[in-house]
Amino acid sequence: MIPIGIEQHAVTRILFQDFAPWMVIVFYAYACAAVGVFAWGVYVQLRKYLAGRHAGRIDWARIGGRIADTLRMVLSQRTVRRRDAAAGWLHTGIFYGFVLLFIGTSTITLQEDILAPLFKIHFWYGDFYLLFKLVLNVAGFALLAGVIYMMYRRGWLRPPKLDYTRPDRQKTDSDWSRERYRIEDWAFLWTLSLIGLTGFLLSATRMVWLEQDPAVWDTRWWAPVAAAIATLLKAAGLDPAGAADLRMLLWWGHGILALTFIALIPYTKAKHIVTAVVSWLIRDRAPVARLPLGDLEGQRIGFKEVKDVDSRYLLQADACTKCGRCHEACPARAAGYPLSPRDLVLTLREHANQQLGEIIPLSTSAGPISLIGDGEAQIRAETLWACRQCGACTEICPVAVEHVPLINMLRRTLVDEGELDPALQKTLGAVAKSGNSFNESRRKRARWTKELPFEIKDARKEPVDILWFVGDYASFDPRSQKVSRAFAKILHEAGVDFGILYDDETTAGNDIRRVGEEGLFQQLANGVIETLGQCKFDRIVTTDPHTFNTLKNEYPQLGGVYKVDHASAYLRELLATGKIKLARKLDYRAAYHDPCHLGRLNKEYEAPRSVLAETGATLIELRRNKDNSFCCGGGGGRVWVPDPPGVSKVSEIRAREVAEIEGLDALIVNCPKCMTMLEDAVKTTGNEGRFRVLEMTELLAEAMEFTPRSDTPNVVEAV
Amino acid sequence: MKILVPIKRVASLDDEFELRDDGRDVDPDFCEYDLNEFDEYSLEAAVELKERAGEGVVEVVAVTVDTQDGDEILRKALAKGADRAIRIWDESLAESDQIAVARVIAKAVEHEKPGLVFCGAQSADHGHAQTGIAVAGLLGWAHAAVVSGLSYEPGAPVATIDRELEGGLVQKLSIETPAVLTIQLGINKPRYASLRSIKQANAKPIEVLSPAEIGLDPAQTGLAGSLSRVRRMYIPERGRSVMIEGAPAEQAARLLEIVKEVNG
Repeated sequence: MIPIGIEQHAVTRILFQDFAPWMVIVFYAYACAAVGVFAWGVYVQLRKYLAGRHAGRIDWARIGGRIADTLRMVLSQRTVRRRDAAAGWLHTGIFYGFVLLFIGTSTITLQEDILAPLFKIHFWYGDFYLLFKLVLNVAGFALLAGVIYMMYRRGWLRPPKLDYTRPDRQKTDSDWSRERYRIEDWAFLWTLSLIGLTGFLLSATRMVWLEQDPAVWDTRWWAPVAAAIATLLKAAGLDPAGAADLRMLLWWGHGILALTFIALIPYTKAKHIVTAVVSWLIRDRAPVARLPLGDLEGQRIGFKEVKDVDSRYLLQADACTKCGRCHEACPARAAGYPLSPRDLVLTLREHANQQLGEIIPLSTSAGPISLIGDGEAQIRAETLWACRQCGACTEICPVAVEHVPLINMLRRTLVDEGELDPALQKTLGAVAKSGNSFNESRRKRARWTKELPFEIKDARKEPVDILWFVGDYASFDPRSQKVSRAFAKILHEAGVDFGILYDDETTAGNDIRRVGEEGLFQQLANGVIETLGQCKFDRIVTTDPHTFNTLKNEYPQLGGVYKVDHASAYLRELLATGKIKLARKLDYRAAYHDPCHLGRLNKEYEAPRSVLAETGATLIELRRNKDNSFCCGGGGGRVWVPDPPGVSKVSEIRAREVAEIEGLDALIVNCPKCMTMLEDAVKTTGNEGRFRVLEMTELLAEAMEFTPRSDTPNVVEAV
Repeated sequence: MKILVPIKRVASLDDEFELRDDGRDVDPDFCEYDLNEFDEYSLEAAVELKERAGEGVVEVVAVTVDTQDGDEILRKALAKGADRAIRIWDESLAESDQIAVARVIAKAVEHEKPGLVFCGAQSADHGHAQTGIAVAGLLGWAHAAVVSGLSYEPGAPVATIDRELEGGLVQKLSIETPAVLTIQLGINKPRYASLRSIKQANAKPIEVLSPAEIGLDPAQTGLAGSLSRVRRMYIPERGRSVMIEGAPAEQAARLLEIVKEVNG
């Protein structure tokens, strides 16, 4: 590697070459100051996070697995590339560039300030040095390329998700836009790019300055980028003397920029280098599917002021890089509601900084200020109520911010203080009284079964294999009752031993919890657990993904542990074991709408697709599918609150997306709430008659040929 | 100062229901009971006054004339911000009509000595809209019915109120205290009583008083003290309507026939 005639030890870089002693002193003084400022910043931020509540949701027992998972995420940069491959790959370049340059610089410090003076160990020379230069040149190039692309993206591409105007504020509000964040964004990019550029220029001028030294000049192509620049500089007429002066200038420029950058990490968006990693490390594996268990006896049931907020959320607020993926994915934001998950998290950040201090530690002795309110750095109640708890934001967040439980914990405060929509109050009142959201008498719960040609077993009175937990919508909503009857017929036909709870079934409470009425949820859940405790069954099956979710993921918090399947998984099983025989193949072109609670929350994407395939129907994937499925608008209790006039409905956006597909025969839904929302939206968007809205169960029933097509509404008459 | 808020537990019917064997009321098995909707607003009006005035200035006392079943709505009132809850009952009060109930509440007012009494404009089940005004009559206090707006500084001798009249008119008037106001729906946004706050209210006491303790003469209440008595409850036979079908000309012809038939 080293040209003949050059001694190994000569191939290295002499640090502070030709520096006056005072210069070295000034440099070390500045470096120490930078480290001091950095350490102070770390202290202030840590103090801020630790001022929050420490709810133990971190499973320290599995810390090894967590660390491995975090390393995989960080090293693969997987989450940054999701749904934005270009920015993701370039971020990967910046990340690896930064990490290698950081390790490289640390290596020099290790040798010069620790190993050499203390142990007389030298390794930074010869072949190692040349490889080191090559690696760092590639790293520097990756960093620069990435940063320049990011400037191009922010300056020219301007994707809508990087628009900092806020849906949760009016145009006339002083805090309508977070434009001032742009200053920080650009300062960050310019600093990084100047550090990279000055680094290369410094290396190149050193080559020209020391061109007479073969140990420098003859090995220069090991630093290809710097060597190319050196060639250009020489061609432009730079001589060794001029290069020496320029090198001194660049040395100081590069050094001061780099040290200043390090010093400012805890105070700027650069802190995501640390906060994002810790956020991922302590993340909840099911933040949306399993909301935190509330302590009903506690002082407060939800978050009201910054000190109620779990430390994890305060840290997450600082991990946010404003990448806008949540902003882009949020259905409420898309429909014009006053909510952007990004802005909610940034408001929490600003609130925490104002209350606890970002640069100087503050104490909140002046009296706590509510996190919820109409002021600046406060989250408005209307923002919290706009959320559907669909999890689109939390799913896509590259740094594991958990918006959904955060919003839920804030809603719990609103519910506790009684501040909620009258329509929602009525529904909650009805659920508290009668156990269902339809305000119907308990006696009527199983009335949908009367039209069946057979009787369904009473699971309260005799043991059954399958306990079918029907749910509110499937019991009371006339449209969904048809689906329930279709499902009953399928189970009957397949010879399944199944039963229902009749009058003793209540809502399982999934959406009551998502509204934020934790007390009522726990009362309902305890009641259901007691009822189920008196029944003998092998497993629970339900057609309702909301019921499925809470029974499977949340009931264990209250001691109710069951084997729970959603109907689509169970139907797939019945098909696979040959218990269901299909009479005909359907020739439909069918689109499938993933329900949030089945897909995103429980990662069940394949079972419904395989049932659909079995029927012979051709699956047309919607533009937004699986983990990126677009909520029907009915989640989080919003199904009970009428949409205000003037905003487009979430469900209509989805209906229009479906209607884009040419020649569609049916939209297949897999949730009674999706059915209610989307069937309505198909009508209000003027698409009635163009395609049918069917439940997965109904599609299968058609293939089994015991449900005549006329049993379902909006049948396309002889096209 | 003290605000007394009389509240009532009202029944709402299932779609299908049966009458009691004596035919004078609905079989309670077919009813759901809850706090009278109008009382949600009168209670909210009182609690809002209390919250605006700051700690310790206003005391809100909810009172109901009911059996032990009435505790449920008193707990709800406590959860929503009432400071105390009183239930007045013994068997002598059974079958009291609206005026007899007003006598009980008037005695409760003399017992508690509030500066204001906020009643709901009416009850959602029987809808007499008399109790509140009768209380004022019995006490000889100023009163205003169907109040849709209220502005009052606790302790002041006069309150300013709005009343909704026919044709969208609003009447603004000042009323001397002590006074009885019956509160209309929509005057405010009643808060929700979360299950947690109701549970916490379970820990608060409900003061139970007998009519004798507040100086009521048994002859003034119950069946003996009521000038009206429910004789029968029933669903009148519905008028029958017929859909006329067919082409417009056929429909017109059939309509003409019916008109001639009715006119004889």
